[in-house]
Amino acid sequence: MADEKPPEDVLTDLRRRVAKARGEDVPPSPPQSPASLALRFGGEFGAAILVGALLGYGADTFLHSSPVGMVIGIGLGFVTGVVNVVRVAQSFNRANAGDPNAPSVPDDED
Amino acid sequence: MSTDPIHQFHINPISEPIQIGALDATFTNASLFMVAGVGLASWFMVSAMKPRALVPGRAQVVAESAYNFIHSMVKDAAGEEGVKKFFPFVFTLFLFIFAANMLGMFPYFFTPTSQIVITATMALMVFFTVIVLGLAKNGLKFFKLFVPSGVPWYILWFVVIIEIISFFSRPLSHAVRLWANILAGHLVLKVFAGFVPMMAAAGLVGIIGSILPLGMTIALYALEFLVAFLQAYVFALLTCIYLNDALHPGH
Repeated sequence: MADEKPPEDVLTDLRRRVAKARGEDVPPSPPQSPASLALRFGGEFGAAILVGALLGYGADTFLHSSPVGMVIGIGLGFVTGVVNVVRVAQSFNRANAGDPNAPSVPDDED
Repeated sequence: MSTDPIHQFHINPISEPIQIGALDATFTNASLFMVAGVGLASWFMVSAMKPRALVPGRAQVVAESAYNFIHSMVKDAAGEEGVKKFFPFVFTLFLFIFAANMLGMFPYFFTPTSQIVITATMALMVFFTVIVLGLAKNGLKFFKLFVPSGVPWYILWFVVIIEIISFFSRPLSHAVRLWANILAGHLVLKVFAGFVPMMAAAGLVGIIGSILPLGMTIALYALEFLVAFLQAYVFALLTCIYLNDALHPGH
């Protein structure tokens, strides 16, 4: 009994064997470094603002409405940035689902 | 100076100036390491697969698992059709970025992926492939990409604007991700490595103290190897996700 594996290892091992038996490939999941995740969130947010501003600026040059287009563009860029960040977070959560067997921790809502 | 952390990113011509029309095509250290990256990747794949053995040798196992790794990634993200159409493109991108990143880990070597021109070129290649192929394959249905289903009409116009900006922000974040990771990693590495000679110049206490930044440099070096692989993988994965939109527009 002393050399038994800890239960988490047994569970992940079982999950992998079940997936293999079902004929599913075990998806390759390299570890995400926290820094690259942070850069990803920041990049998505910043890129949307930049592109929104550029599109607004482009609209200004065609419509001769400077600076209204750029102001609106930056605002829309911020909205898009938030949408992008939420999407990245959603896909990250889907890829790294929490352990369903984890003990629940009581919080303020309980 | 050798302790200048920016020095490693300087582009220096190594041939006589070459001018093609208005284009400055001088062979630089960046060109050299891009050619080296392409050469290394193709040399490895060709020579590792040369035996074509049923029971693979060591090099063949590495080449085959690299192939399988990207193959299953493309299949997961873009389906069977995606594998048929895009696998060579994605695999080439992955191998090139991986080889360039790994070559850049050698001291005194140049890292092409730390230049945003190079990462942006690759991201724009993917972006225009999505647009051209999406329009050619789906016609006007491609624009469904910007019109999510199940949204009431009074906010739909707003959502469409958001989706269009989001679509155009893709190549930017795609390029910046790889570039920023490699650039930041190499900068931090060089800054910590630069502390070692600076401290060692300050006498005996400095020499003993310089063990600390040296240890940090070694630890960061290990992390950079992970980043070099991971960013090549992430770039290829995002390429698959974007190319999937060209095949199956609409959310």
